[in-house]
Amino acid sequence: MKRWLALSFPRLAIECDAAACISNDATAIIEEARGRRVLLACNDAALAAGLHTGQSLNEAYALVPALMVREHDAAVTTGHLEKLALWAMQYSSEVAIEAPGALLLEVAASERLFGNAEALLARIHHHTRRRGLTLHAAVAPTPSAALLLAGATGQAPATATPIILDSHAALVTTLDALPVSALPLDDFTLKGLRQSGIRQLSELRALPMSALTRRFGQSLADMLYRLDGRLPDPRNCITPPEHFEETLDLPVETHDTGALEFVLKRLFDALEGFLRQRDAGVGKLVLRLFHQRGPATRLTLRFLDAHADSHHLLRVARARLGEKRLDEPVTALGLEAREFASVSQSRRDLFQHAEGDRSDLETVLDRLAARLGPDALFMATAHDDHRPEMACQKTLLLPPGKVGNWPTRPVWLLAEPQPLTEAVTLETPPERIENGWWSSDDVRRDYFIARHADGRYFWVFRQRRAPGNLWLHGVFA
Amino acid sequence: MQNEALEQLLRAEPRLWRGVARHHQDKAIPTGFAALDRALPSGGWSIGGVTEILHASDGIGEFSLLLPALRHLATEGAWCALVAPPHIPYAPALSSAGLCLEHLLVVRPPNDSDALWAAEQLLRSNHFAAVILWAGKASSQSQRRLQLAAEAGRTWAVTYRPLRALGEHSPVSLRIVLGLVGNALRLDLVKVRGGRTTTFDIPRHSFDTWQGTAWPIPPVASAATATSATSATSATMMYLLAPA
Repeated sequence: MKRWLALSFPRLAIECDAAACISNDATAIIEEARGRRVLLACNDAALAAGLHTGQSLNEAYALVPALMVREHDAAVTTGHLEKLALWAMQYSSEVAIEAPGALLLEVAASERLFGNAEALLARIHHHTRRRGLTLHAAVAPTPSAALLLAGATGQAPATATPIILDSHAALVTTLDALPVSALPLDDFTLKGLRQSGIRQLSELRALPMSALTRRFGQSLADMLYRLDGRLPDPRNCITPPEHFEETLDLPVETHDTGALEFVLKRLFDALEGFLRQRDAGVGKLVLRLFHQRGPATRLTLRFLDAHADSHHLLRVARARLGEKRLDEPVTALGLEAREFASVSQSRRDLFQHAEGDRSDLETVLDRLAARLGPDALFMATAHDDHRPEMACQKTLLLPPGKVGNWPTRPVWLLAEPQPLTEAVTLETPPERIENGWWSSDDVRRDYFIARHADGRYFWVFRQRRAPGNLWLHGVFA
Repeated sequence: MQNEALEQLLRAEPRLWRGVARHHQDKAIPTGFAALDRALPSGGWSIGGVTEILHASDGIGEFSLLLPALRHLATEGAWCALVAPPHIPYAPALSSAGLCLEHLLVVRPPNDSDALWAAEQLLRSNHFAAVILWAGKASSQSQRRLQLAAEAGRTWAVTYRPLRALGEHSPVSLRIVLGLVGNALRLDLVKVRGGRTTTFDIPRHSFDTWQGTAWPIPPVASAATATSATSATSATMMYLLAPA
C-alpha cells in the first residue's frame, strides 16, 4: 500500500524572501483574487499587528497604515518550491509538486528506512526549521487526503502535531469527522451543501454517487472518491536533473568572504540532499562568486576521493574561500557539481576502525591539498629504473611500485644538477648510468661519491661528453 | 595523597615536568644510538614534543640521525611526513634505509607560513607518528604553536633550522646543535626539557645503514682527486664500462 506524505508550506510566499521575512516592519505579500487585492502571506511583525492571510488589502491598511506590500511573484515561489522538491528527493524517489505551496512524497519505503513516520517527520522538521520555513505535514493512504489534512488546500490544520494515518479505516474515521467546509470547494457548492443540510463529510459520503453527481456535478464526486481511495489518483512525479547547479543571491553585497558563510551553508545543504538522493559522492566542485561588474570568480575544489558529507565539503570550501582575496564585492554565490562517483559504503560497516582511519587521513590530506594545491602533496615512490631522475616518482595514495635493490644512493636528490664549485675527493669508483636509448636527450654519466674537505659527502657525476666538470646531484645527509 | 594528585597531574599534563627527574612515563621512540638514548630524559625521542635540530650546512648526517627512529616507526606501520624538505627525498635511498614509502608523505608548500600551517595540521590530525619540518624562518610564536600541536596530537615533531637561529628563543622540548668533528657527528644538546644539557659525539660508522654503505668509505685505489676546474684523469673508466 502506498503512503503519501504531504508537506505544506503555508507561508512560502513570504519565507522565500529572506529579507522581508526577518524584517521588523510589517510586510505582506498580496495577490489578486476575484478582483480584490488580498493578503497572501504576512511576516511575523504583520501577524503580531493582527493581520492574517485572506484579509483584503484595504482592511489591512486600516489596521496597519505603515504596511509594506509586495506583489506576489508566482515564478519565484514556484522556483523555490522546485528546489524544495529536489531537497525532498533524499527522502523519497517519488516527489510531486502541488502548486502553490505543497509537496507530495510517497514514503512507504522511507518510513521503514527511518524506523517510523514520526522519525522521518522529525528529520524533515529539523531541516525546514533550519531553513526558517513553516511546515504542516500529514501522512495518509491517499494523496488528496494527505494534502487536505496538511492544510495545503484550504485552512491550516487545527493541531500543530502532524496527522499520521496508518490504515484505511483510520482515514475513513478522520474524513468522516471533518466539516464539509474543510473541502476545497467554491462558495456556490458550499452554499448548496449547507442548504441541503449537509454539514459533516460523513453525511456527504453517505449519499449515493448518482445523486451527488446530479446535484453538485461530477467534480465533487470525483474529489470525494479520490479522498478515500475509491478512484485512482495518479500524480506527476518530478525527475531529478543530471547535474547540480544552484545560485543564491546574497542579502547585501560583500567584500568579506566570512560573510558568505550563511549562503554557503544553504548551498551545501542543498548539495547534500542532491547527493543523498542519487546515493553518490562528488569529486569536484565549482564555486562561483558573482560580481556586479566583470566575470565571476571561479574556484575549483578537487577531492582525493568522492565525498557525500556536506560538512567535510563545506570545511574544504571554507578553507579555500578563507585564503581568497576579493577584489570586487560579491553579489551572488553559485555551486556546481558535474562529476559524480559512488561513495564506498564500507566506512559505515562493522570494521569501522580500519576503514575509518584511512578516510580520516584523507580528510586531513584534502584540507592540505585545498590550501596548498594538489601538487604540493606526494609520496616518493621508488620506481625500478636505473636512471636517477626516473627512479623517484611522485604519487599520492597509490600502491607503490616494486622496490629494487639499489647501490648506495643519497637521501637528497637535487631537482636540477648543479655545477660543483668546491674541491672534493672522489671516494668511489665510477658508476656509469646512461639514459634509455628511447629518450631523446643524451645522458651518459659517471657517478661518484665525493667527500668535501669539511667531511660532508656528495653524490656527483661527470658527463662523458664533457669530462672536465663535476656536477652535484645528491647530498648524503 | 597530595603526592598522588601531583603524580597524576605530571602524568596527564605534558607541559608540567620535573626538573631533572629521569623518571618519565612518556612513551618514546628509541633513537638507535645508545649515547643519545641515555642523554634524553624519556630514553628516546619524546612523543608529544618538538625536537629542534640546528645545523650549518646540509649533508653532515642530520637526516641519518633520525633514520633508525623512522625505521622503527616504519616497522609499526605508522605514517610519517616530511614538510618542505630542502631537496627531493630520494625514494631508492629511503627505501634501502628501511623506511616505508607507502607511509611517507612529502609536502612541499609554496612558502614558510604554509609549511608551518601544514605541519600543525598534520601534528593535530593524530594520524602521523612523526612530522619533520624544514623551517627557514619560524618565529618563537609559531614554534610554540608547533609544540602545542605536537603535545595535543601526541606526535613526534622535528624541525630543522639553520644554525643562526640558535640565538632565538624557542619554546620546544629539545634543541640539538649538530656539527662535524673529524669523522664524528657532534651533538650539542643545548636545551633538554626535564634533563641535563650535554655534548657528545656519535662516530659516523655507527650510521650503519647510512644510505647503503659503510662510512667513511673504505679507500679505493682508483680514487682520484678532482675539482671542477681541473680536468679529471681517465683512471675512472676501468669499472662498469659498456652498458651492453
